Amino acid sequence: MSNHVTGNDAAYKLRIARQLTVSYRVGRWFRGLWSLNLLLGVISLSTVTFLWEFAAPLGIPGLKNVPAPTTVIAAATDLLVAPQYWTGWGLSFQRIVTGFIVAQMIGIPLGLIMAMHRFSFGTIFPIIEILRPIPPVAWIPISIVFWPAREQSVIFIVFLGAFWIVLLNTIGGASQIDRKYKRAALSLGSTPRDLFWKIILPATMPSIITGMAVGMGISWEMVVAAEMIAGNTGLGYLLWQSFEIGAIAQVIVCMISIGIAGYFSSALIRTLGGFATPWRRLH
Amino acid sequence: MAETGQLSIRNAGKIYDPDGIHVVALQRVSLEVKANEFCVVVGPSGCGKTTLLNAIAGFDQLTDGQISMDGALLASPGKKLLPGPDRMVVFQQGALFPWKTVMWNVTCGPLKQERMAPAEAAEKGRELLARVGLHDIEDSYPEGLSGGQKRRVEIIRALMNDPKILLFDEPFRALDALTKSVVQEHLLELFDFAPKTVFFITHDLEEAIFLADRVAVMTTRPGTIKKVIAVDIPRPRDYRVLTSGRFLEIKAELGEAIHEEAKKAFEAGERELA
Repeated sequence: MSNHVTGNDAAYKLRIARQLTVSYRVGRWFRGLWSLNLLLGVISLSTVTFLWEFAAPLGIPGLKNVPAPTTVIAAATDLLVAPQYWTGWGLSFQRIVTGFIVAQMIGIPLGLIMAMHRFSFGTIFPIIEILRPIPPVAWIPISIVFWPAREQSVIFIVFLGAFWIVLLNTIGGASQIDRKYKRAALSLGSTPRDLFWKIILPATMPSIITGMAVGMGISWEMVVAAEMIAGNTGLGYLLWQSFEIGAIAQVIVCMISIGIAGYFSSALIRTLGGFATPWRRLH
Repeated sequence: MAETGQLSIRNAGKIYDPDGIHVVALQRVSLEVKANEFCVVVGPSGCGKTTLLNAIAGFDQLTDGQISMDGALLASPGKKLLPGPDRMVVFQQGALFPWKTVMWNVTCGPLKQERMAPAEAAEKGRELLARVGLHDIEDSYPEGLSGGQKRRVEIIRALMNDPKILLFDEPFRALDALTKSVVQEHLLELFDFAPKTVFFITHDLEEAIFLADRVAVMTTRPGTIKKVIAVDIPRPRDYRVLTSGRFLEIKAELGEAIHEEAKKAFEAGERELA
């Protein structure tokens, strides 16, 4: 609260000056990197990899059919130069992005409308409550029949994976806004339009972002499942095809690739979410 | 300048009727608040203080009587609810918009009402924030502030609209005793500098006497005005007032009135639970 420097002024200035030097900052960054958590993470990961590598000769049933890490790495070096692998990444990403964006474009406005108008909530909510519990995977056959092209049916399954969660999160967030904010805004001279843009939308934003982050995870689950069943390209298809031809090491490479892709997609959503809600970044 | 902000509450009544359970929150409440008077209403919890404030602010309807300010009708049964910048509320839990910076919060009213240019509003905001001891916080978000800072910012946000009346709904309830006394002193400084009509709700007797020109005691539900006590302690006041003889006399008188009501409220609560 106060701008005054307490204690010994010279010593304080010296401390500040030292904290601004490059070596001090690099040192602090390096110490931060070598935190206990990182160390523990490295130890546990290498232990698991080590056990996996040397478990096969121990004769644990089942595990002898699973290729060891060295075999997986060998398969990865082969696969990483195959064009099919990278087009698979590209196509899966494209389906995720399309299905996910359409889900947000419909889910967020619909959720806001439903939260603000009792009539639309009463009309639409029963339909949602019946359709929502159906796992998106169960929609695959109908989706294939309904959509003229396989591509569209895969995107539709991705859409379903992201849609319900963002819709429900938007409804939940927008209907839990404390009425004191609306009252304060009305006293300050807000129009209904201001109320929407300045109160309802930002107040709902954290819930929307949570819905998007969870929805992104489900989208990856759905794209893999849909590509396995209905697709003929993409990472999910590649994974299943590798299994069919008995290239199990390649299956594991695909699995890890999907994991990495999912991680980066969620990290992207979190970063964008941070920009959209700057007031929450402090915590 | 003509004195404005004269509040007139006449026979105000409010009956809640959710699910067929008849609850009389307010019954024949009459109170005149003069222009530039600091009026504090005290009463036991659940006596309808907030209901009364919400009716003045235009957040909630009356079912009987009427409330007017400077002759213009604010509330009466069936009247359309119209909150507005002439009556600014400082809320019990605080209602600064968490998603906007302090400066945005403080200047949004006059900018929205197009009463000030952005630069003028920013300057005025900075000036008022400085007057309550807040510097260099205009780019912070409210969540980054302490409880005492938030309450001061919210008071400044209200003042920026140059309202005819300020409505306070137990604004310092959540503050610790030390912070509370500092914020109370800041509020009095602002009031002494530029007097306004104030309608302030609390159940803290010391706070009531320290701030008020007049203290109105409300009865337990159905709420009505039991007694009005004038606080003839000269302004400007500071914390030393709290131990003065006159303060203690008023506190004793007020304490007696409120204690009866608190007991009734407690017994009514016991009956409801039984």
